[in-house]
Amino acid sequence: MLRAFRPYRLFIFFLLFCTLPKASQAQTQHTFSGLVRGADGLALPGASVAVPTLNLGTATEADGHFSLSLPEGPQQVVVSFVGYTSQTLAVNLRHNQQHTFTLAAANAELAEVVVQGQQTLKEKLQSTQMGVEHLTIREAKLLPALFGEVDILKTLQLKPGVQSGGEGSSGLFVRGGSADQNLVLVDNVLVYNPNHLFGLFSVFNSDAVQSVDLYKAGFPAQFGGRLSSVVDVKLREGDREKFVTTGGIGLISSRLSFEGPIQKGKGSFIVSGRRTYFDIFTRALNRANAGKEDYSPIPDYYFYDFNAKANYTLGEKDQLFFTGYLGRDIFGFTSPNGFQANFTWGNTLGALRWQHVFSPRLTVNTAASVTSYKYNLGNSIDQFSFDLGSTIRDYTLRTDFDYVPNTRHNVKFGALLTYHDFGVGRLQRSSQDNSVNFGADVSYTGQEGAVYATDNIKVTDKLQAELGLRATGFQSAPNHFGGLEPRASARYSLSDNIALKGSYALMYQYVHLVSNSGASLPTDIWYPSRLSVKPERSQQVSSGASFLLGGGKFLLTDEVYYKWASNQIDFRDGAQIFANNDLDSQFLFGRGWAYGNELYLEKKTGKTTGWIGYTLAWTKRNFPPQLGTTGINNGHDFYPNYDRRHNLNIVVLHELNPRISLTASFVYTSGAPTTLPFGRFALQDIYQGGIQAVPVYPDRNSYRMIPYHRLDLGLVYKLRPSRISGQRDLTFSIYNAYNRRNAYFIYFEQTRDKATDKVTGYRAQQVSLFPLIPSVTYNFKF
Amino acid sequence: MFLVVSMRRKVLIGFGLLGVLAGCKKLQNDANVVLPTYPNQLVAECYLESGVVPRLSITESVPYLDNGQAIAAGSQILTLPNGQTIQLPTDVTVSLTLPGGQPMPLRFSPGIDASTGKYYTHIGTRAITATAGQQFGLDAQDKRGRHLTGTAITPTFIPIDSVKYKFNGLTGDNKKAYFMTKWTDPGATIDFYRLMLHKGKPANNSETDNDIRDKLFNGQSYAQVTTYRFRPGDTVTATLYHVDSLYFDFRQSVRNARNANGNPFAQPSAIHSTVQGGLGVFSVLVSDKRTVILK
Repeated sequence: MLRAFRPYRLFIFFLLFCTLPKASQAQTQHTFSGLVRGADGLALPGASVAVPTLNLGTATEADGHFSLSLPEGPQQVVVSFVGYTSQTLAVNLRHNQQHTFTLAAANAELAEVVVQGQQTLKEKLQSTQMGVEHLTIREAKLLPALFGEVDILKTLQLKPGVQSGGEGSSGLFVRGGSADQNLVLVDNVLVYNPNHLFGLFSVFNSDAVQSVDLYKAGFPAQFGGRLSSVVDVKLREGDREKFVTTGGIGLISSRLSFEGPIQKGKGSFIVSGRRTYFDIFTRALNRANAGKEDYSPIPDYYFYDFNAKANYTLGEKDQLFFTGYLGRDIFGFTSPNGFQANFTWGNTLGALRWQHVFSPRLTVNTAASVTSYKYNLGNSIDQFSFDLGSTIRDYTLRTDFDYVPNTRHNVKFGALLTYHDFGVGRLQRSSQDNSVNFGADVSYTGQEGAVYATDNIKVTDKLQAELGLRATGFQSAPNHFGGLEPRASARYSLSDNIALKGSYALMYQYVHLVSNSGASLPTDIWYPSRLSVKPERSQQVSSGASFLLGGGKFLLTDEVYYKWASNQIDFRDGAQIFANNDLDSQFLFGRGWAYGNELYLEKKTGKTTGWIGYTLAWTKRNFPPQLGTTGINNGHDFYPNYDRRHNLNIVVLHELNPRISLTASFVYTSGAPTTLPFGRFALQDIYQGGIQAVPVYPDRNSYRMIPYHRLDLGLVYKLRPSRISGQRDLTFSIYNAYNRRNAYFIYFEQTRDKATDKVTGYRAQQVSLFPLIPSVTYNFKF
Repeated sequence: MFLVVSMRRKVLIGFGLLGVLAGCKKLQNDANVVLPTYPNQLVAECYLESGVVPRLSITESVPYLDNGQAIAAGSQILTLPNGQTIQLPTDVTVSLTLPGGQPMPLRFSPGIDASTGKYYTHIGTRAITATAGQQFGLDAQDKRGRHLTGTAITPTFIPIDSVKYKFNGLTGDNKKAYFMTKWTDPGATIDFYRLMLHKGKPANNSETDNDIRDKLFNGQSYAQVTTYRFRPGDTVTATLYHVDSLYFDFRQSVRNARNANGNPFAQPSAIHSTVQGGLGVFSVLVSDKRTVILK
């Protein structure tokens, strides 16, 4: 499995060469570093720190820190950030120097509610990174949302190259990848199942999130372990100056956050909680209908989650960070006859990170984390009980170095080690009198490791490249695998307003999702690479051009990509995936490939902002005959159900006045592929008593449903702040504003004569999920 | 898995209902679906039992949305009392191969089996004898070049060890019992079962119908327990079939295919027929029965 990839030798040589001090750099360089934060003490990630006269600049890291290598002498440093007043500082560099910038909000009222973190379009143009979407919670909070539940993952679905799993779903299908091929990170900790409520909502509470970066291509070498995307979510830090309470009351859930300083100037904390209350209504309905004939009680369902984050400054060079998350979905049912069923699932994660600044040029972050996902399904009747569950738990140690040797290089390198504990399937059926007692417990362990190095090199004023290499390994005794993952991206500036970009990335995925539903279900099982289940592997090349238009107000980007993947996993028909100690025999393996073009026009400044994205794409899979089966689709190519030929997204945000913001988003996609039965036959079965019509499905996903389109409208109205209630706003949303009947699925049924109830024929029915849905959410902060 | 999918559907329907309240318009509409051409296939359904004259039905699969328009020369439409139509090919020659190798031609004589109420198209000349391990063959051929074949092996007999029921502590309409059926699985083989519970006369609309494999209880005693669903005075018949893997796979694929029509979260399955050259099932049934009147 370990492949000798010749280019890596060249890369290592290049890396070493680049990091050596250069004789040609005669002028003395000094490091100017520090922190950019808002007036409330919160770090501002993504703020621009630039020296315009030298055409040099950088963006602050997630914790607000920056580092620039500048020539000795007087320099004008300009710090800017959308929503804040820019600052200019005159420095006379004679030695390494540090400075903390505190930016005032440009519009105090707006900035209190809004947390921004946007790259400017100019910086995006100049970045070597392509295929990346940066999204702030500001945009997500302003945009209309289903049931008023702000969801940053659903907002990502409005970006080009990203498909949702279906109506209302928060699933992400990025450039032809499946939902389990996304590396979803919260403050660098993996989240195995980022969904609540069977995929309708994500696990991210909007009050706790600061921003998210979605990488679709050119993956930086510090990321690995999944094939198709990186969803890098950063949680917000608490206010370092004062105690603040934030919350919201919505149609189906409420949320509350509390934040403040730990020791003024030393650190801060934030804790956030959220809970749905759908179950309160259903319980009341059940009580009202108790005892009625033919009334079937509605099961209880709710979810909750808690987020916590804290930071503490140990000294000038050391800081500690803590991130925690606990989320559970709970589904319970008790029948009047005494039958009970309970189903719980959710993620738990925690991480402790230590940041140490060796020097203004070298910083290290070392973190220990644990993440787990589990579900448990149990029911009981009299003395008999049934219990089914699965767990995955990871313990990870990682260290990441950031080294800026000179103005031409920015080197990142690091390593991580993860211990995986796979509780693939646990099933127990038992009775108190021991007349029934059997079960299964299938579990594995695995160790995954990676080392990486990457250098962002300014080759010339026009050419900038990022070259990286990641070496990964995985073992689940007695099997072990490994591979080299080269990463490269480059930007060439044709002019100040035009840049050409290209990238290549190879990815391995050693941990696989076992789910044959084609949808996000809580019964997800994660499975290690083993002798018969080889690591999934993908490669992607992409290239594109970016144009800064309208005097820098608009950025037009066009990217083409081609991705090919091997060892893709699916399941044989009727696969038994629960508590099966021979799960390997249920898998089928195949190839996949995806290609397309993404056109993206965005505007980030002014009273009207937004974007238009258009994607033309193809995604295909092939699973040839194998293991005594005919493969999938008889070995012919087929489109997975998230393949969409055309996808148009238009998002507009308009600030009507300081108190009213209007938003609209429009989505158009080609019809989703689906599998319909072409034929049917009659089956009597062993006994007489009704003849079943059995559907015959000759092909997979060969039928396209009607195109999907939808318009959502939103309005945020800021109420006048008062001493008692603090700042407040009302957020109105209209989902599916023109009440489009989009196809969720199609099925066939018999038609019957109303008078005689005799079968008259067969017809196709289209089912839609959500019509026009208005909602209002009350948000507050004091 | 089915429970999870079903729960997801219920929750989504719940949210859909919220939407209906807001949208005040139907969420289900007729769809204009044009399906690709589908060539009809021969379909066999044949369950042999020792001591019984073999009867089987040979029908044709049809395009799903066809309402009798696609009838081919050599076939005819049978309309059932409930209005349902079945396409019968009338030019099919069928024969069984008995365990000794001798053929038994089955004549085309459509009718209804008085003992089971089932339709059949072909019938044998005498009752067959089937003992465990014996193999039977099926051959059906029409004049249009379609040729369907299959083989089936007689499973061993597995007896029901015991049946048991117990009422909950409630009264009136809420007084209901669960029912337990227990048997012992042989350890040397991989075994598959079908357990049906009927109230009154056995019919297809059984109270419960479970397909069970012995993966988790190989060689052990096993008990299948229902929910509280039977009332005082019910006559409950438990029928335990010991089936082969081909029949088990066919049943699973039929169930998956039927579940996928109308369930967006289920993965549709191709039909795993136990015959070649067409669709359907050819199997030898071996079963044990217990009947109890609940008091």
